[in-house]
Amino acid sequence: MPDLWASLSPIMQDILLALLLIAPGLVTGAVVLRGLRPLPLVGAMLRRFFWVNLLFVGLITVSVGIGVGLLAQERGLRQGTARAAEKFDLIVAAPGSEVTAMLAAVYLQTSDMALVTGAQYAEFAQAEGVAFAAPIAFGDSYLGVPVVGTTTDFVTHLAGPLPSGRPFATPTEAVAGAYAPVAVGDSFTPAHGHGPASEDDAHSGFAYTVTGVMAPTGSPWDRAILVPVEGVWAVHGLSTGHPPGDTRIGPPFVPELMPGTPAVLVRATELWGNYALKSQFTRADLMAFFPGTVLSQLHGLMRDVRSAMSVMAVLTQVLVTLSVLVGLVILVRLIARSLALLRAVGAPLRFVFAVVWAYSAALIVSGAGLGLAFGWVAARGISALVTARTDVLVTASLSWPEAHLVAGFVSLTLLLALLPGWLAVRRPLLSDLRN
Amino acid sequence: MRALLIALALLAPPALSQTKDHLAEKDGLRVLHAWTPAAAKGTEALIYLEVENTSPAPTTLTGGNAMGQPLDLVGFSYGAAGEDWTILPGLPVPAGADLHLEPEVLALRWTDLPADLAEGGDLRIDVHLGPHALPVAVEIGAADATGHSHAGHGH
Repeated sequence: MPDLWASLSPIMQDILLALLLIAPGLVTGAVVLRGLRPLPLVGAMLRRFFWVNLLFVGLITVSVGIGVGLLAQERGLRQGTARAAEKFDLIVAAPGSEVTAMLAAVYLQTSDMALVTGAQYAEFAQAEGVAFAAPIAFGDSYLGVPVVGTTTDFVTHLAGPLPSGRPFATPTEAVAGAYAPVAVGDSFTPAHGHGPASEDDAHSGFAYTVTGVMAPTGSPWDRAILVPVEGVWAVHGLSTGHPPGDTRIGPPFVPELMPGTPAVLVRATELWGNYALKSQFTRADLMAFFPGTVLSQLHGLMRDVRSAMSVMAVLTQVLVTLSVLVGLVILVRLIARSLALLRAVGAPLRFVFAVVWAYSAALIVSGAGLGLAFGWVAARGISALVTARTDVLVTASLSWPEAHLVAGFVSLTLLLALLPGWLAVRRPLLSDLRN
Repeated sequence: MRALLIALALLAPPALSQTKDHLAEKDGLRVLHAWTPAAAKGTEALIYLEVENTSPAPTTLTGGNAMGQPLDLVGFSYGAAGEDWTILPGLPVPAGADLHLEPEVLALRWTDLPADLAEGGDLRIDVHLGPHALPVAVEIGAADATGHSHAGHGH
């Protein structure tokens, strides 16, 4: 059996799992309703207790929606952060924390880092199989967004051809991220540092002019401003990596004249080359790592949290449904006389049972369906909020895990809905008729 | 008979699991600390190890074999679509250099396991380094193991 399951495609496994989860509920419905037509009576009950029903459906909707929204949002965040890191093949930095280096180089959460020296940079820039090695030099900002020194290779690799303008060609030109607060033709003076403590006038007298805008990448780089690394070095009064008087930008740099850079993105000409380069440059004085690996490990740590979230979501939904079912039991007591009359005019016990179960099922299925829609809307809303706060494009959409969650919930609660039906037919007929 | 041989190969006696067994060496090529998490029959196993090239010549790790089945050298990647392992043609190990096959980076992949890999057992594989096929004992750790029990020990 495990072999057969493993041989199925993922989509087939998802479909079968959803069917397996919903099957107990469907079988229960088929058995309870077989040969009976309780729906007209159920429709009348739904209309008669409209506001109470609306409240019950609303409760189920919110509880299912929160569960669905949380799951979709967690997946969207995971995929968004992974997508943002996809372009960062191999990062080389001075030894330290890989997580800190990844947050700084990929997500622009800058922090103090030791520098890769010019000699070290020259070593891997000239290594066999290296397509390009782009410095990532952060530390300055403008209007709260990072100003990052790098090369045109990096700009093209990150966002492809520029949809507007051209890449920087001199140390005083800049390329803006898709949503950066500058446009082609704007000039600006960077502040030294980030946040409230940044020094706005530290680089006065120096200005970059924006020559192009990148296409959106779905990463924090969309709000960044990219400048030639020579500009960053020059504005800090350092040598530019080139002989004095040489105004060209980009590698090769003269090792002795290169001030250093916090991180370098290295890309190999062949896929396997990235692994060889990582092995080659993982050593005492350098740290080479794949951001994808670090991110996968971080997401792996969150896997248990994700599982706990799923269980809590189901438990919350079941608890809400139990409270709704308790409400239904009370409601059944209120309509006990009507049900007793039904039995008095000859309706079999099974029919009364089917009416109460179908009434409960209508509320549960409506609430679950609306909950799915509510969860989708909530996930979209939270995604927009997270994207605005983190600059990582998060697109949460409903998928099979949510379908499985709702299918399992509906199935379980349809089984629980047998309880009000059972209690309804166990009521004493005569006393209910008298009351 | 085949099943018996597989079972014997997977359940090597504990006496084999000694320090010297963590090291395979030939002509200056050393393979250390090979391990894999426990895995069920029919699934895949990812085998991790360390290669040291103490010879004066470069070599290339191309893969291996276990019980007559090929072990692919695979590289890890992670993106919006999730985790993925890509088969690599081979990785150079320069003279005097090390190569570490470690979780979520590099591994030797054995697909469609013919039997369970039970925790605590040993597995015999050949690692292909240049023209050599080095016989290596692979320690089978827990299903959620993250490293060899002797990782970090010098040999």
